Amino acid sequence: MTPDASQMAGFSGGGPDFSLMQMALYGFLFMIGVLMLLTMLATLSLPVFFGALAAMNLGLKGTNNLPDPLGKWSKLAGLVFRSLRRNLLRTALTYIALFVLTGMLSFIYMIVSFLGNFTAEKEGQQLVILTEKFSIPSQMPPGYARQLKDIIRDKLPKQYQPADIDNSFMTWSFVGATTDPTKFSPENNFFLFALDPDAISSGMMAEQGLSKEDLGEDDWDKLLGLVELVRQDKRHIIIGEDKLKIMNKQVGDEIKFTSTNYRELEFECKIVGAFPSGSRLGGGAAMRYDYLQSKLDAYLVQKGQPHPNADRCLNLVWVRMPSKEAFERLAAIVNQAESFSAPAAKMETFSAAVGSFLEPYKDIFWGMKYIIMPAIVCIMCLVIGITITIGVRERRAEMAVLKVLGFQPRQVQAMVVSESVLIGVYGGMLATWCVYFLPMFITKFTKTVGVKFAFFDNFKPSEWILLYGPLLGIAVGLIGSFMPSRSASKVKVSEVFAQVA
Amino acid sequence: MAIVEVRDLCKTFNPELPEPIRVLVDLNLDVEEGEFVALMGPSGSGKTTLLNLVAGLDSPTSGRIRIGDQVISDMSESQLARWRTRNVGFVFQFYNLLPVLTAYENVELPLLLLPMSKDERRKQVNNAMEIVGLADRMDHRPGMLSGGQCQRVGIARAIVTDPTIVVCDEPTGALDSKSADNALNLLNLLRSELGKTIIMVTHDPTAANRAQRIIHLEKGRVMDADEIQLQPAVA
Repeated sequence: MTPDASQMAGFSGGGPDFSLMQMALYGFLFMIGVLMLLTMLATLSLPVFFGALAAMNLGLKGTNNLPDPLGKWSKLAGLVFRSLRRNLLRTALTYIALFVLTGMLSFIYMIVSFLGNFTAEKEGQQLVILTEKFSIPSQMPPGYARQLKDIIRDKLPKQYQPADIDNSFMTWSFVGATTDPTKFSPENNFFLFALDPDAISSGMMAEQGLSKEDLGEDDWDKLLGLVELVRQDKRHIIIGEDKLKIMNKQVGDEIKFTSTNYRELEFECKIVGAFPSGSRLGGGAAMRYDYLQSKLDAYLVQKGQPHPNADRCLNLVWVRMPSKEAFERLAAIVNQAESFSAPAAKMETFSAAVGSFLEPYKDIFWGMKYIIMPAIVCIMCLVIGITITIGVRERRAEMAVLKVLGFQPRQVQAMVVSESVLIGVYGGMLATWCVYFLPMFITKFTKTVGVKFAFFDNFKPSEWILLYGPLLGIAVGLIGSFMPSRSASKVKVSEVFAQVA
Repeated sequence: MAIVEVRDLCKTFNPELPEPIRVLVDLNLDVEEGEFVALMGPSGSGKTTLLNLVAGLDSPTSGRIRIGDQVISDMSESQLARWRTRNVGFVFQFYNLLPVLTAYENVELPLLLLPMSKDERRKQVNNAMEIVGLADRMDHRPGMLSGGQCQRVGIARAIVTDPTIVVCDEPTGALDSKSADNALNLLNLLRSELGKTIIMVTHDPTAANRAQRIIHLEKGRVMDADEIQLQPAVA
């Protein structure tokens, strides 16, 4: 979900084109998968949960012999652990339910916060984009790139210019392609970014997952080697490993394709390398922009008139500006410049562009944040509340006995609340810890065995969930046990024993 | 001076209804220190209600209850809870031991609420368990004990705080005759050897006959004519 995705829409060459129904279906299937995964994790983590409870209980037993009041309190606290062990099945099921719900909540939270971070305006270095203002996909004259570069060099004060403009500048042209114009199918169709190969080595494609951090040192070095091969010959192209498999091609193959968005243009290329499988370009491809340009020039010579898209072959321009202020200055110039008025172009930050792309889905994200997340918290409170209520009802006579023995209502209440909070904390903590550490574990494992999954490679959960999980567990435990603990503290001894007798 | 003094005691349930249930009506009762009293009467006569009021488990609608030198009828719920820990031992019909605790821990439970050192607690619990003859069952859970043994643990729990009074609600109701006899012997022993004041509610005339005095209740009133003085029972 990057702005390039929105700009790609409309090219039949193979860019993602999800309808809302498809998105809903994928979302639903994803949620089912997550639910199953979480349920499995919750079940697998049961020994950890009960082990932790047993360890805490053992620790408490160890403190029973400490001088009072510590020893006395630890004995009373021990009652809470024993109550939880009383009905292991119920405790386990409650834990699993809380684990799954907290896990779901964490997933949704991570998605929402990930998008929030993506779309939040940042201070410091800014990745900015020049696009056509009123049209999707953006199609601008190629001269816009040179004009923009000139403005940055000539009209911006030195402190607002990127340190090295050539290495902070990149253009994208989208080329839809098919190896068989008579048959449109995934085996024949693919999508290329036409760009300057230096854009990859200079790190301008870092946001697309082509960086040393994302790929690792070895893969990055390999990629630089491929870029060098592309530099040597404009016919050299790189295709993603995943796409190569679908197309039944391999590195070294010669490939001839026709463009689907540049009518009548044909390209003969050699596949010199592959983007790593599972990376964001694993299903895409890249070619040299000057090869596209030379084909457009050849068209002019051949046909005596320019190609219909020759003046609209620039889709995006990326610039890495040194600061927010520098971007604002540049944007002000671009927005006022007549040279960017036919067609009108706009300059915006990457995060703003992502925000614009996500605009149609904002209701879904709003619903996730303000309806689904609170609903999950409410369900968690209900789950824990029902469990504790059943426990309290079963033990009304015991609660009454405690009161007969002299326990204060608040002490009885505290015991019930502690049971609830204990389950909540462990459910919340283990769920969020699993959600946090699992992708790292999978990444490590898949790297070891040489397999790559785009999702896990790029998924970096916020560290905050490590804290939020237990805190959520405490909150849910407190809220869920409010009613049952009050009911336990208000047990009327005379009524309980009148019923028993 | 009587250790338990009940004056003009009334207890009405659902007073807001047009026909409230008047369980106790202007009841007066004195129990001397070290006395073993049995409360008898038909169902609904108010004996358990009286027991609950004397034990500080419920508050009267009107009237006055004094136990020792404290008037408990004016106390709040939390004051009553504190007072009960020190002054009342309660023996239940169905023992009501906490199943997750051992016999020792069940007996120790009320002591955890008192300002007592660990050694003092251990001494008190051992003492109570020895009195009831279960010193060798300290680590057993209620599920591993017979009904009679459970009731003896219940009695140990009732006396472990050295309370002013011990109240028993049908203590033999769930026991076979032999276990019931043992439990009654134990209560008598508490009275004769430790000077405990015991108030017991029972339906069983045999059990009642083991008390020094039987008080008959009917329709919330003490039946004076039926009050029978018994010879002190032999433990």
